[in-house]
Amino acid sequence: MIVVEKRGFVLPSIHSAPPFFTEQPNPTTHATATAQWIKLILTYARHRKLFTLRVEDAETAGSDWEEILRNERINRKILAPHLSNILEAMVQQNLAVYEPPKQARSVLVFWRLQEEWAEVLYDWVTSTGQLNTIMTFYDITDPPLESLLTNIPLSLLRKAIGILGKTNRSQIIAIADGEGVRFLSRSK
Amino acid sequence: MGSNQSLPKITAQDKAILDLKLQRDKLKQYQKKIQGILDREHAIAKAQIAAGEKDRALIALRRRKYQQTLLIKTDQQLENLEQLVTTIEFSLVEVSVLHGLKQGNEVLKEIHKEMNIESVEKLLEETAEAREYQKEIGDLLANTLTLDDEEAVQNELLALQWDIEKEEAAGVILPSVPEEEPIGEATTVAEPRKEPEVRQKVAAPA
Repeated sequence: MIVVEKRGFVLPSIHSAPPFFTEQPNPTTHATATAQWIKLILTYARHRKLFTLRVEDAETAGSDWEEILRNERINRKILAPHLSNILEAMVQQNLAVYEPPKQARSVLVFWRLQEEWAEVLYDWVTSTGQLNTIMTFYDITDPPLESLLTNIPLSLLRKAIGILGKTNRSQIIAIADGEGVRFLSRSK
Repeated sequence: MGSNQSLPKITAQDKAILDLKLQRDKLKQYQKKIQGILDREHAIAKAQIAAGEKDRALIALRRRKYQQTLLIKTDQQLENLEQLVTTIEFSLVEVSVLHGLKQGNEVLKEIHKEMNIESVEKLLEETAEAREYQKEIGDLLANTLTLDDEEAVQNELLALQWDIEKEEAAGVILPSVPEEEPIGEATTVAEPRKEPEVRQKVAAPA
């Protein structure tokens, strides 16, 4: 059974299966269920452009993730320890990172790989003609016209800029008051 | 240094521009904050009116008004800052244009060195000579018509003459252009009736 939620997200049929919301004791089933959860979380995050997932989202009603973490029709919801385990698996697979670091309650979800974000960023800068211009991070996260990068978390933006820096396509400029970045054309 | 060689140096200008832009961001964020306060005061005023506290609603609205003036002021400041940033960036573009012009000028000078006036004059002279020579050849060729051609030309002349004679023999006599001045308009206007008669007389002999 496929259920289309109000925001146009198609929930997979497994979302209507009660066992999906319980941690499986059998290691094989557990691994499959976790993989399904990760897939669901990533596609949903991509659909709604969500970046942060917290363990507490499992408990609080009305969070951004409510649609997938709960299923009122079968009266099930994922429990906090279960979600915490899934987050751990995601971090291990490099599909998320604990943000802020040194805690395990909230993660930054990479529904695009960091390298892909770097390319998205570079494409945007090029297509808007902002190469060789000095930009602030705020210019990127909050442009006058909404872009693919609108509201991108600073830590992720920093990583993407760092990746571009390795190929000499970005340059961080730091002054006492803050930081800025300049993107450079692909050098020969 | 090794891997950073292709990166441009960060100049004091760059830092100044970044500083300006960061200030601009701060203003933008400040505006967002004020907007939030505006919305909040509006909600408070609404709630107070609903609760029947007219005075308090009034206070909230007054606060809101004050914040609104702040917002307008920051708008002006933001405009100033943005203008400054744009001006600086445009000047940088101008500088690079100037640089480009300079280089172009250098190249042009190099090229000019290779083509000095003497060699151009010489070249033009040679070209003129060649043209002269070409013209001579053309004239020579034009003057030597073959016998057949000459005969054809003579025949054409005769035919033309004959045509003209034939036309004259047919005796078509065309009226010559009147030499006298046309009669003033006054008479024609005064006696419009006479005109048709005159026309008939002229038409009859033809």
